[in-house]
Amino acid sequence: MKWITHLSGIAACVMFLGASTSTPVFRLAHPTGLNFILQNSPTPQKYLIETMPGGIALLDYNNDGLPDIFLVNGGQISSPMRTPENFSRRNPKYWNRLYRQNKDGSFTDVTQAAGLASIGDGNYGMGVAVGDYDNDGYPDMFVTNYGKNVLYHNNGNGTFRDVTAKAGVAGGGWSASAGFFDYDNDGKLDLFVTRYLDWDIELSKACGAKKDTYCQPGEFGGVTNLLYHNRGDGTFEDVSVKSGIAAMKGHALGVAFADYDGDGFTDIFVANDVVEQFLFHNNGNGTFSEHALDTGVALSSDGKMLSGMGVVFQDYDNDGLPDVIVTQLPRGLYPVFHNEGKGVFLDKTLTSGFGMLSGSVSGWGIGLEDFDNDGWKDVFITQSHVIDNVEKLDSGLRYLQPPLLALNHEGRFEKADVGNDTPVAGRGAAFADINNDGKVDVVTTVLGGPPEVFMNRERSTNHWITICLEGTRSNRDGLGARIKVNGQVRFTTTSGSYLSSSDKRQHFGLGRATQANIEIVWPSGIHQRLDHVEVDRILRVQEPKQ
Amino acid sequence: MTTIFLTLLLFAQAAPSRVDTDTHATAEAIQQHQPDSAIAQFKQAIAQTPNDPAPYIGLGETYMRTSNFAEAIAPLKHALELNPDLPPVHRQLGYALLAQGYAAEAIPHLDRSKDRAALGIAEIETNHFAEAVTNLQAALSEKPNDPDLIYYLGRASQMLANDSNERLLAQFPQSARAHQLKAENCSRFHEMQEAETEFRAALAARANLPGIHLELGELYAQNSKLVQAEQEFREERRIRPGSAEAAYRLGQVLLQQGKARDAVNELNESNDLMPNMPETLQVLGKAAFLSGDKTLAEKSWTQLLSLESEGPLATQTHFDLASLYRSEGKKQEAEMHMQQFQKVRGAKR
Repeated sequence: MKWITHLSGIAACVMFLGASTSTPVFRLAHPTGLNFILQNSPTPQKYLIETMPGGIALLDYNNDGLPDIFLVNGGQISSPMRTPENFSRRNPKYWNRLYRQNKDGSFTDVTQAAGLASIGDGNYGMGVAVGDYDNDGYPDMFVTNYGKNVLYHNNGNGTFRDVTAKAGVAGGGWSASAGFFDYDNDGKLDLFVTRYLDWDIELSKACGAKKDTYCQPGEFGGVTNLLYHNRGDGTFEDVSVKSGIAAMKGHALGVAFADYDGDGFTDIFVANDVVEQFLFHNNGNGTFSEHALDTGVALSSDGKMLSGMGVVFQDYDNDGLPDVIVTQLPRGLYPVFHNEGKGVFLDKTLTSGFGMLSGSVSGWGIGLEDFDNDGWKDVFITQSHVIDNVEKLDSGLRYLQPPLLALNHEGRFEKADVGNDTPVAGRGAAFADINNDGKVDVVTTVLGGPPEVFMNRERSTNHWITICLEGTRSNRDGLGARIKVNGQVRFTTTSGSYLSSSDKRQHFGLGRATQANIEIVWPSGIHQRLDHVEVDRILRVQEPKQ
Repeated sequence: MTTIFLTLLLFAQAAPSRVDTDTHATAEAIQQHQPDSAIAQFKQAIAQTPNDPAPYIGLGETYMRTSNFAEAIAPLKHALELNPDLPPVHRQLGYALLAQGYAAEAIPHLDRSKDRAALGIAEIETNHFAEAVTNLQAALSEKPNDPDLIYYLGRASQMLANDSNERLLAQFPQSARAHQLKAENCSRFHEMQEAETEFRAALAARANLPGIHLELGELYAQNSKLVQAEQEFREERRIRPGSAEAAYRLGQVLLQQGKARDAVNELNESNDLMPNMPETLQVLGKAAFLSGDKTLAEKSWTQLLSLESEGPLATQTHFDLASLYRSEGKKQEAEMHMQQFQKVRGAKR
């Protein structure tokens, strides 16, 4: 005997739950000079690539202390697509764009001057990763594409140089999120690149009863991800096979890094779309073993595949261990995998409040940041269904959706007023304190539209500290360092979210605390301690030589 | 559709109802697929022995075999005038009449022949849906795997429901049940707000009508309005404290909100009221696990597997038990259940 669902067959309508706070945390800003439009070029043929861009990076490319914005564009898609398709990337409309932040908060488009106008023919833009791979003190950028990827070296004079060929990181196929990290703790940033599907114009097809919608990823074959080892001479070695990364084929879209088992080596979580998620455990000898199933992060709490898009790998409940939250499509909740220690994760989606926050929404970019500086990391997620005519398929779903902000109340998330409920086709999201006022802001990308800049206007008098690491023995960015401030832990990274890269500075909300006690475990293994540090400031910390 | 089904029925008859007086020649003609010759011979026999029903029957059957139902009616009727006590002939005449659209006229003949399948179909055609359901159910009990019968039973039941619903809406439009019915229909068409309004109207008409809060709660739950769903399930619990389902639904929605301990209480009560419901045990195990009561979680899930060793719930439960044992450091048990999970799921990366 079974319980009968009285209203069987009813698809859930999209219901946006009421916000639990009355004062919006953010204000949707329209900074002068930020005039980018994400050109994804939707076609009647429903080419899958056109619904997947685009990435965003918040980085301080000129080291003036003001975060700048880099936006990845899609490209022009012919209808139907040509073989080969060049995506018209030479047309300025389809350029990626770098916007330098000015002291007054406005932005200046410096794309051409910075040498970033050329992305190469045959590339349709996807994502971006940021890291100082040559330890020269200037952040470099890696742009992923459907096509060949591009590595831009930051020359330190406001310009970039395409060094892809020399570096040997062009890859190919359909790349999505990427990230810099130092997997062997040799002080040089390595590069991980996710790849989504075995897809091209020949394999493309439209789906649905009337062939009028995007196909499920299961319609296409899986592909392997790429791992490049930094040789330290400006070149990278493709170690995908010998590291064990290429042993797994998936539909990867998101990637995030953290040392989940505290062995001192950075592990990799890969968000896969409708295949099992991957958790690559770093064996510490240049190889990785995939352990998602036996650590409990491969599937949802009811044993089902996730349509994983974006991912964040940080500690949400202040127990010092990095947890995983994955964004995905509706009918499934955004799963929260709580790190229990000893290499085990438990699904705490429901007890963390995500049963109330997800289910009929679709998530992409995600960040765990303490937006109200109360000492608990909150969550921000860009949302929109992947299918632009999903209402025709399921009247209970919506293509355009507002982003989600949920504040963390001692490990339980509750929806809050994001400050802009206009539904959009949200995709990428990056996080940084853009105006250095001690509050983390968010910039998101929107298909077919301008980026959305969510300026944090939270009014509390909570204290904060933002830590900017400078590695000496470790990589210059300090990526992979474990920073503990007054009991809270952040794993230093620019990666995570979806196709995007966030500020390398790590922000901590401190609540009422007027001093910060800081412990840093650098990738080199060096432990550093700073006690009774003055708060409400950006603190630059250099790695001790020993 | 009816004609196709009757043709199938005719050819499915094990033995023809041909009377003993068939001449050898006509039988041969029929067997040799020469209906014209058979018809001529039957007509000749009728002319020779006009008071004998046999050649009328033969002629009618020959027409039936060639799907000439219109021509079959007259000789079959005449045969029954000569001898009304011939059930197989009643059946043939019933088929012929039904195939020609004379369902009402077919019914007495099909009734006399006790052909409940065809009778049920005729009753659908004449809007006697309740009788049709009864007869088709009886026919289906003898031929449980007949897709045609299953189809007609479904159709008759649906028509009966429609008929009943229309009557309710026409005669008692402001009744609680009419509003409930409209609410359910709105739900089916994803009209959430209209459904909610109608459910509320039903409750306004009859405050304590059992089941309405349950349905309204489900509507809210399916639309991610979990707080409202909880309120409705609580109300249903108040009205029907003995309802295991209300307790189950309440427990489920509490769990979805992350209120694991409260969920355990409700699910335990549901399990007491109606023990061994696999779905209750599944969710109870989950709520217990999330609230830290691993003993109860293990007990519930193990009990579920003893009741249901296969199927989606069992698969999910193996996955859950693997998580539980993994969290307790019981690697062997975790591995065993994960293997079971993988085996049933058949998943490949």
